[in-house]
Amino acid sequence: MNVTLAVKQYISKMIENSGPGMKVLLMDKETTSIVSVVYTQSEILQKEVYLFERIDSQNRDNMKHLKAICFLRPTKENVENLIQELRRPKYSVYFIYFSNVISKSEIKALAEADEQEVVAEVQEFYGDFIAVNPHLFSLNLSGVARGRSWEPTLLPRTTQGLTSVLLALKKCPMIRYQLSSDMAKRLGESVKQIITKEYELFDFRKTEVPPLLLILDRSDDAITPLLNQWTYQAMVHELLGLNNNRIDLSRVPGISKDLKEVVLSAENDEFYANNLYLNFGEIGTNIKNLMEDFQKKKPKEQQKLESISDMKAFVDNYPQFKKMSGTVSKHVTVVGELSRLVSERHLMEVSELEQELACQNDHSSASQNVRRLLQNPRVSEMDAVRLVMLYALRYERHSSSILPGLMEELNRKGVSEKHCRMVTSMVEYGGKRVRGSDLVNPQDAVAITKQFFKGLKGVENVYTQHAPLLQETLDQLIKGRLKDSHFPYLGPSSLRDRPQDIIVFVIGGATYEEALAIYNLNRTVPGVRIVLGGTTIHNTKSFLEEVTLTAAAGQAERLQRAGGHPNRR
Amino acid sequence: MASSYPPPFEGTGEVKEGFLCPLCLKDLQSFYQLQEHYEEEHSGDDRHVRGQLKSLVQKAKKAKDKLLKRDGEDKPETGSYESFYYGGVDPYMWEPQELGATRNHMDFFKKHRAARIDHYVIEVNKLIIRLEKLTSFDRMNIDAGKIRAIEKSVVAWVSDSDVPFCPDCGNKFNLRNRRHHCRLCGSIMCRKCMEFVPLPLAYKLTSGTREARSVTGSQSQSQSPPTGGGGNVSGMGSRRGSISSLSSVTSMLEEKDDERIRCCLHCMDTLMKRQQKLEEKDHVPDIVKLYERLRLCMDKVDERAPEYIRMAESLNAGETTYNLDTAGGLRMEVQKYYELIDALSKKILTLGMKEEPQPHQKTLQLQRMVRYTATLFVQEKLLGLMSLPTKDKYEDLKEKRKQEQEMRLTQERLIAQVAQKRRQDSEKNRPAASTNGEAPQAPRAPRMTKAGGWLPSSDTLHTCGELEDPLLQQIDNIQSFLRQAKAAQRHDEVAMLEENLRQLQDEYDQQQTSLAIALSQRLAQEESLQQDELQRLEDREREHRAQSQAPGSQATYTWQGSLNLTDIGSLHGEEEGEEEVTPKAESSPLSMRAFPALTDQDEESPPRLRRLRGDVTPPGGEGQNSSSLNPFEEEDSTPVEDPSNPFFEEIQKEHKEVANGKKEYNPFEQEEGGEEEQGQAEGATGNPFEVKEENNEGNPFKEASGCTPPGASTNPFEGEDEEAMPDVDVIEEELLLQQIDNIRAYIFDAKLNGRLDEVELLSENLRELQRTLQEQKSKTH
Repeated sequence: MNVTLAVKQYISKMIENSGPGMKVLLMDKETTSIVSVVYTQSEILQKEVYLFERIDSQNRDNMKHLKAICFLRPTKENVENLIQELRRPKYSVYFIYFSNVISKSEIKALAEADEQEVVAEVQEFYGDFIAVNPHLFSLNLSGVARGRSWEPTLLPRTTQGLTSVLLALKKCPMIRYQLSSDMAKRLGESVKQIITKEYELFDFRKTEVPPLLLILDRSDDAITPLLNQWTYQAMVHELLGLNNNRIDLSRVPGISKDLKEVVLSAENDEFYANNLYLNFGEIGTNIKNLMEDFQKKKPKEQQKLESISDMKAFVDNYPQFKKMSGTVSKHVTVVGELSRLVSERHLMEVSELEQELACQNDHSSASQNVRRLLQNPRVSEMDAVRLVMLYALRYERHSSSILPGLMEELNRKGVSEKHCRMVTSMVEYGGKRVRGSDLVNPQDAVAITKQFFKGLKGVENVYTQHAPLLQETLDQLIKGRLKDSHFPYLGPSSLRDRPQDIIVFVIGGATYEEALAIYNLNRTVPGVRIVLGGTTIHNTKSFLEEVTLTAAAGQAERLQRAGGHPNRR
Repeated sequence: MASSYPPPFEGTGEVKEGFLCPLCLKDLQSFYQLQEHYEEEHSGDDRHVRGQLKSLVQKAKKAKDKLLKRDGEDKPETGSYESFYYGGVDPYMWEPQELGATRNHMDFFKKHRAARIDHYVIEVNKLIIRLEKLTSFDRMNIDAGKIRAIEKSVVAWVSDSDVPFCPDCGNKFNLRNRRHHCRLCGSIMCRKCMEFVPLPLAYKLTSGTREARSVTGSQSQSQSPPTGGGGNVSGMGSRRGSISSLSSVTSMLEEKDDERIRCCLHCMDTLMKRQQKLEEKDHVPDIVKLYERLRLCMDKVDERAPEYIRMAESLNAGETTYNLDTAGGLRMEVQKYYELIDALSKKILTLGMKEEPQPHQKTLQLQRMVRYTATLFVQEKLLGLMSLPTKDKYEDLKEKRKQEQEMRLTQERLIAQVAQKRRQDSEKNRPAASTNGEAPQAPRAPRMTKAGGWLPSSDTLHTCGELEDPLLQQIDNIQSFLRQAKAAQRHDEVAMLEENLRQLQDEYDQQQTSLAIALSQRLAQEESLQQDELQRLEDREREHRAQSQAPGSQATYTWQGSLNLTDIGSLHGEEEGEEEVTPKAESSPLSMRAFPALTDQDEESPPRLRRLRGDVTPPGGEGQNSSSLNPFEEEDSTPVEDPSNPFFEEIQKEHKEVANGKKEYNPFEQEEGGEEEQGQAEGATGNPFEVKEENNEGNPFKEASGCTPPGASTNPFEGEDEEAMPDVDVIEEELLLQQIDNIRAYIFDAKLNGRLDEVELLSENLRELQRTLQEQKSKTH
C-alpha cells in the first residue's frame, strides 16, 4: 500500500528489463510527471538512462546505439506517435510500457508498424498516477466538475487513474461512495465496470478482509482547502505551491539562480522527510539546529588550518559538508520565504480567525473579528476573500448573518469583482444545500469533552485546531460506524469486518491537511492502512480556481437549459 | 576482533530468547530495535563482527518468519514489529511490497508482427534478387534492346493499357507524360514519380547474395562494375543472353540506363531501409566503445572500493587483519580507475566537438549526461575513500588497540572466572537435569507460544545455563525446530532448517576460532611477562629475523605450530559436543577454551608489541615511512615519490600503455581538451594541477624511470637501509602529502561542479599545506 514504491518498482523493473547499455526514456507529458515525482535525475542516471525525451518531440536524432524505454499513457496520440516512431526507428530496441489498459486493435496497429523488428517488449505497467507521498496520490486533473456532474472527458481519465492505483497496489476493492454526490456514484460505477471487464487483471490473491475504496466529493468539505496550513508540506503548498514536488521560488526577492526551482522530495531529502508533518514552530527549531550543525562543519575562510590534525579534520568533514550545503541552503531559503510571507500577510492573525470560524460556534465574536480583519489594510485580498467565504459557509443560514455587510466591506477594500463573485460560487459549491454530512458542527457531547481534555493538556495548537471532515469519516469507517445510508456500498455485498486496506479518493481534489490526517491515522491505528488520493492536491488558490471553473460550467449549463425551454414551447 | 566478544552470560538458569543483543544480551523485542540498539551502543566495536552478527540475526529472523508464516500465524500482515509497539505503521515503514500488476502483450504483438514481417521480408528479398539479376551483366556493352529484354525477363511488366493514370500522383499518361516501368516490381509510374537506384548502391545491396552465389567472389564490394564485374557477369549474362531475343523497336526510344536502374518510389523506399540496416549492422560508434570501457572501470571500482574501505577502516582502527602495503596498493589501483573514468568520460564529452558539422544537439546532451554521471560516480565514491594511516601512525594505533584489548581481556577473564564458578555451582545443584532432560528447570519466557510455530522444545532446556552464546541459543532453537519438523514430517521445512543450522554453525565455528585466538593472545601476554630477560632478548632476535624474511606473519610458528593444531582440533570437538547437547562438553567450555591459549599466541600480537618496545633501538625503526629517503632527493622529486599522486599514476599508466603498444589516448591531451570546462576555475586560483602537470608533462617517462621504482618506495626495509635514523618531522610528511592528495581530489570535484568559492577555499588550504611541507623540508634539510 505504498504508492511511491509501487511506481518506483514499475520504473526500475522497466529499466532492469532492458539490460545494460545506454538508454533513453521516451515519455509523454503526463508520464514525465509520474516518473519525475518518484525519481531524481541522478538516481535514474545511475541506471544508465541518459536521455529523457518526449515521444511527441520532433527534435530527436537517430541514435542507434541507444535502447529506448517507452513509458506512455495509452492515448490515441501516443499510439499514433509511436507508430510513426516504429516505422522509422531512431533507436536500436524499443521496450514499450503503457501506463494503462490498451486495446488489442492498437497493439495490432503497432505490431504492423514494427517492420524492422525493433520492439522487444510490449507491456502494461499500471503507473498511471502521481505518487506524491507513500500514502498520497494525485491525478493532476483540475476542473473535473461541471456544476454537479462530471466533465465528460475527465470521468474516463479519472477512472483510468483510479483503477491503475488499484492495479499497482494489487487491490480488488469493495466500493463505497458518498450518496449526496452523483459524481461519486458515477465514478464508483465506472470503476466497478472496469473491474468487471478486466476481471483477469483484478484476480489477486484474496485477503481475509477485502480492501475498500471510498469515494468522496470535495463539495462535502469546502472548508479544509480554505484554511491556512502550518505543517511544512502543507504550508509550502499553500504559500508557495508544490507542483509534482517542485516549488517555484523565482518570485522570491533576491533569490539566487540555482534556487529558482527546488525539489522537495521526501525520498532523498532527509531533512524534508523528517519535517514533512511538523509544524512551523518545530521546523524553525530544526532548521536552526541544521544551520548550527552546518556551521560546525563548514570550513571557515578565516580559520587557520594550523596543525595537521586541523587539516585532517577539514578534509574528513568536507564530503559531509558538501552534501549538507545543498540541503541547508534549500531549506533555509524555503523556510525564510515562508516566514516572510507569514509576517507580510499577517497570517498568524488570519489563521487564528480561520480556525475560530471553522471550529468554534460563536457568531458574534466571529463576525466582529472578520469585520475587524477586513479593515486591516495589510490583510491580502485573497485572505480577506477566504475569511468571508469561511464565514459564509459557516453561518450560511444564521439568523443575523452579516454576509451582505461583509461583501460591502470587501468592495470597500477594493477586492476585485471576480473574487467577490467567488464567495457566492463557493456557497453554491459547498453550502448546506449540497452537503451530505454535517460539516461544521459534529460537536456532540463527546466531542466537546474531548476538546476540553485536549485543551487541558495544552497540546492543542490554536492554529491547528481544525481536523478535516475526512478524519471523522475515516474514524467512523474504521470503527464500523459509517452509516450505509450516507455511504452506501456499490453492489449487493457489504463489509462486515473492520476494514484493513482503505483507499480514499476525493473527487475535486484532496489537501495536504488531509494527507497529514491520514498519515496520523496510519501511525496510530494498528492494522489499518490507508491511502489517500484526489483528482488533484489543492491549496486555497487552486481550490478557488476549481470552484470557479465548476460554477462557470454549471451556470453555462443552467443557462442553456433555461434558454432551451422557451424554444421548445 | 574476537576480543570484543561478549562477557559470558551468567547462568542463572533463565532462558533468554527473542531479539537479544549479541553483545550485552539485552532483550530488545524487535529486530529493528535490536539493530538500532546495536548501532547506538556498540557502534564502536569492530565492524566485522557486527556485520557477521547482523547477517546472523537476519538469518535467524528469516528462518523464524518463514516458520511463523507457514504455520498460519494469525498475526495480521500489518502487525509488523512496529505496530505492536507504537500502535500503527508509518507509511515509510510499510512492509516490502511486490511489483504491481502487469500485463504482457508481447505474444499478441509478435503474432501480428510475424505475419507482417514475413510479408515484408519476402518483399525485400524479392527486390534484392531481382536487383541482383538486373546488375549481374555488363550494362555498358550490351545494346539497349537486349537490356530491355533481360529487364522484362526479371519481372513481368504491367501492360501499358491497364494503367491510364500514374498510380502515385494521379496524372494522366499521354505522349508527353509517358509511362515508365519499375524494373523491380514491373509497375508503371510517371517520370516525376520515378526513382533510380545507382549501380554502386545496387552492388552494395546485393553483395550478400552475390557472395553466397559466386564462388569466386571476385567483386563482392566492387564500386566499379565495369572492371570488377567482368568475370562474373560474363557467366551470368550469357545465361540470360540466350533468352534475350524479344527486343521491340519502341524500346529503342527510351533512354538507356547505363549506370542506374529505374524503380518506383515504393521499391526505392524499401531498398533504402535495407541499406540503412546494413550500414548499422556493423557500425559501432566511438561513444559506445568508450562507454563500454567506462562501465568496465566503474564496475571495477564498485568491486574494489568496498574492499579498500574495509581495509582502511580496519587499519585505521589499528587492526592487523590487513597489510598496510596491500591497502596502499589497492588504493593506488582504485585511484587509477578514477583517473581512467575521468579521462574516458572527458573523452566522451568532447567526442565530435571539433568536427564539422557539429553533432546533433541530442548527441551532445547524451555525452554531457554520461560525463555528468561519471562525475557523480567519482564524487560519490572517491570522496568516501578514506586515507590510510602512515606507517608510524599505524604502529601507534596498533599499540593503542592492543592496550585496549588487554584491558578488556583482563576484565573478561575475571568475569569468566566468576561465571565458571557459578556454573559449576549450578551444575552441582541440578544433577537431575542431565539425566532427565524433560525437567523444566528454569522459568521460560513464553515468547513463542503465540506464534504456534515450532517452539524450542523443552528438551533443550537443560542447556540453558551454559549457552552464554546467543549463537548457540539460535542453534539450539533451530535444532529443536528441526526435531519437531521431522516429527511432523515436513520435509521441506526440515531442509530449510538444516540449511539454516549449517549457516549458524559455520558462523559459530568462526567465532569460536577467533575467540580462541583472542584468549591465546591474552595468555601469551601473561606468559611473555613471566619470561625472563634472556628469553625475551632471544625472542626479539628471532622475531626480527623472521620478520625480515616475512614481515608480520607468524613469527613463532616453529615452536608452537604442532600444539596449535591439536588445540584447534580439540576446540572443534568441543563445539560439536555442544551442538549435540551433551552436558559434559558444556560443563567446561571455559576450561577448554583456556587451552588453546598457549598456542597461537604469537601469531600476531606479541611480536609487534615487542617490536614497539624495541623501537628505541636503531633497528626498530623499520616502521619508517616511505618518504624518508635522502632529503636531497626529495627536493627534486617530491611529486613523483608520493605514491598517491594522481599524476604519478598517470605517468605510470601512460608508461604502461605505451609498453603495451596500445596508445589509445593520452591523458594529458584530455586534460587540455577538458580545459575549456575547467578554464574558469583554473584561471582564478592558480590551479595546482596545472603546475604539476607542466612539471610532469615534459618528460613523464624520464621521471617514471629515472626515479626509484614505485615498489621500492613502499618497501620499509629499503628505507631502513638507506637511512637508519628516523626523523619525526619527515614522518609527518607522508601525512601531509596524503592530505595534499585529498585536497586535490576535492578541488577536482569542486571544479567539476563549478563551485568556484570552494575551489578558492580549497586551493588556499592546499597552498597552506604546501608551505608547511616546504618548511618541513627545509627543516630536515
